[in-house]
Amino acid sequence: MDSWVIGMMMSVSIFLGSIALVALLWAIKKGQFDDEEKFLNAALYDDENELNDAAKKEKKRKDASKKKEYIPE
Amino acid sequence: MIKIEKWEDLNLSDKIECDHCHLEFSKDVMIEDEGHYFCCNGCQGVFHLLSDEGLDSFYKKAKGVKLDPQTQQFEDSSNFDAPAFYDKFVKRTDDGFSEVSLIIEGIHCAACVWLNEKALINMDGVVATNINYTNNKAKIVWDNDVVALSKIIDMIRAIGYNAYPYDASLQELKANEERKDYYLRIAVAVFATMNMMTIMVAQYAGYFSGITEDIKHILNIGEWVLSTPVLFYSGWPFFKGMYYGLKTKTVNMDTLVATGSLLTYIYSIYITLTRTGEAYFDSVTMIVTFVLVGKFLEALSKKSIADTLDIMSKNLPSDVKVVVNNEVVTKNVNDILIGDIVLISAGERVALDGELLEGNGTFDESSLTGESEPIYKSVGDSIISGTVSIDADIKYKTTKDYAHSTMSNIVSLLENAMNNKPKIQQLANKLSEYFSSTILLLAAITFVGWYFYSSNFEQSFITAISVIVIACPCALALATPVATLVGLSIASKKGILFKEASQLETMANANILALDKTGTITQGRPQVVNEKVLEKFDTSLLYSLLSNSKHPIAKAVVSHIYDENLHCFELESLKNIPSQGITAMYNGKMLAGGNAKLMKTIGIDVESSSKNSEFYFAYGEKLLAKFELFDMPREDAIEAIVKIKKMGIDVIMLTGDHKQSAQKVASLVGITNFEAELSPEQKANYIDKLHEEKNVVVMAGDGVNDILALASSDIAIAMGNGSDIAIEVSDVVLLNDTFSSLYDSFKISQRTFKMIKQNLGLSLVYNMVTIPLAIAGYIIPLIAAISMSLSSLLVVGNSMRIKLGYKDK
Repeated sequence: MDSWVIGMMMSVSIFLGSIALVALLWAIKKGQFDDEEKFLNAALYDDENELNDAAKKEKKRKDASKKKEYIPE
Repeated sequence: MIKIEKWEDLNLSDKIECDHCHLEFSKDVMIEDEGHYFCCNGCQGVFHLLSDEGLDSFYKKAKGVKLDPQTQQFEDSSNFDAPAFYDKFVKRTDDGFSEVSLIIEGIHCAACVWLNEKALINMDGVVATNINYTNNKAKIVWDNDVVALSKIIDMIRAIGYNAYPYDASLQELKANEERKDYYLRIAVAVFATMNMMTIMVAQYAGYFSGITEDIKHILNIGEWVLSTPVLFYSGWPFFKGMYYGLKTKTVNMDTLVATGSLLTYIYSIYITLTRTGEAYFDSVTMIVTFVLVGKFLEALSKKSIADTLDIMSKNLPSDVKVVVNNEVVTKNVNDILIGDIVLISAGERVALDGELLEGNGTFDESSLTGESEPIYKSVGDSIISGTVSIDADIKYKTTKDYAHSTMSNIVSLLENAMNNKPKIQQLANKLSEYFSSTILLLAAITFVGWYFYSSNFEQSFITAISVIVIACPCALALATPVATLVGLSIASKKGILFKEASQLETMANANILALDKTGTITQGRPQVVNEKVLEKFDTSLLYSLLSNSKHPIAKAVVSHIYDENLHCFELESLKNIPSQGITAMYNGKMLAGGNAKLMKTIGIDVESSSKNSEFYFAYGEKLLAKFELFDMPREDAIEAIVKIKKMGIDVIMLTGDHKQSAQKVASLVGITNFEAELSPEQKANYIDKLHEEKNVVVMAGDGVNDILALASSDIAIAMGNGSDIAIEVSDVVLLNDTFSSLYDSFKISQRTFKMIKQNLGLSLVYNMVTIPLAIAGYIIPLIAAISMSLSSLLVVGNSMRIKLGYKDK
């Protein structure tokens, strides 16, 4: 077997693994594991309503920030 | 939703659930409202509020979890809008919003979190909410121009919860950030180490059965890629530690780990590029990963002082009712001056010290004295902060301001004690410091020596590095953590929880055990030890009299005389006489049960001679029976104390009780050394005095009156039924609350410490053999690889002996 095959397979597997690692790091940084109880209960709150709520929440924050910026004008 | 028809079906049973809180009550006391049933107006209000707001899917989500009924009457929430409150608790965010940290009370389930978040985010002006289910702490961000904080608090209260602010102090924030930082670094390290292992399988196989130079080269490069983030990202704390060490001119474990792994890394790069010999990238990742995990476990178990103080201050009210110009005003405790008139009603906790002006009643002082008996106070008596009024509605004049009141004093003393907690310098750390500097010195000498001897820079450099690599503290770093891990796991199986791994070592060095009396050595409740019936009587009479009292002595007598044939007579004009006893009328004659003082007031002369508490029972001015009660020592105390003494540990008893009862308990359990009538501060001072005499002190206690002493001892042990605060302050918690586990915790820690010493010895022997070989330049890769894993295996194997040794016993 040519040695480049080993090199290629190794680099691909490390690359794929590191994608998962980066995703995990991102989730830790975003605080997704800060509340273990909520994390475990997340399955209970995982339908359409919750998605809508999350979107609404984000929009609200954005709107509020925008409104704040207008005040100095 | 709950189906109403179902309730109709269940009509036969007399108990039904409240539609809000799901507690069961008899149907006739329930409020009926359009087919729904509620236990109280509060629940009804919350239920309607939730339906109006479109939040009633809460009930589906909560799935019948029992909630607290909405009965609390809240004070005005306007104090949340006070400038002083904003100063202390509200932060401004970068984009101009306000942010507050609250603890939400009454959260039972994930649905409660959902409800609170949803209700708040539906409010105008609330920008973001995040409620942590695990610790009930909430962070709320809102626009102060749109909505006031008091409105937000009102909403939380309206839906059936309560919120109080907490200072998200820097300390706690810092601890959380530190923890998260470790998670990230460990995730990277573990990921790389696991991948490294698969490559190492190929490397080792190739080493023994032959491998082409090309493939080995590629594998080396793969290892190089994997080890780089581990060394420079995960290993960053070690470099930082080394830097701070250098700044203060000390050589620490970090120095050795950092230089060792960095030099190994450089050496391996050199090997990889020149394609000569063996690379040691795997050692780099392994060392960093293992030592990092060890460090993380240590950081994780460290108690946060902030949390303890949170619990303490939760126990103190922040507002009190003050009489100003004949009007009752609520004021913050910090604004109260000496001489102000403060009102306390039944069930409230006293915030400031003072002197009673009007009214009388009993106070629970157990949080300060540890004694469970309520204390009767009347005009002129002193009122102490931190105590709770049981049935007294009183007016009192403050004699101290808040900052100088007893409870605030205890809080600040506690803060001090916890910050200055004595720490025994850990043996492994001390050793590694000498070891690290010696190795670095040896490596330098080797380099210089070889350079003069052979004038070959490359060879001298590699030999010097191999000295560090071979000595790299794999075994030394593992010596302590593995042994403590085994020790901790045995301890936890026996119901002994050590909060910090290093405490095993501290405890093993302890030579004094200080014990609290009430609740620790004794059972904490009196029992009848002697009964003298002077004239035969119907025990039901005594039973009906005493079942009206909640006093511990009354309860003890009841449990002593209780049998199934007893029944309650109807008594008239029942009177509880504080600190004397209880009287009532039956068939026109007086029933009386109480102490000698009560007997004297009703005209019966009794001679009290016993050291024990006495209880007399009289009917119609005739003494019928006498009971002697005593707070007995725990059953296993005597045996365990003898065993602990045999280990060479002095046992001392510290108590707030008077001398006689201390003497009696001490002689019963075989303690010769005791101090009585100590205040909480004096207990702590006594322990400090022991420290000055270079003693290592273990203190075991259960109540708030022990916390100062617990905090100033080297190892604090809370017995399982101790108060929350005592458990919080303690280093070791005994779950099964027995003296034999106290003895076990001494034994396990001593055994573990012995193993640590053996492990350190083993790794030093290993280094003494290999380092000279390395200096002489004889270390070939095979020996390095085998001896490194062998030494680690030796240390791990030796540590397992703690377990074996323990089972033999």
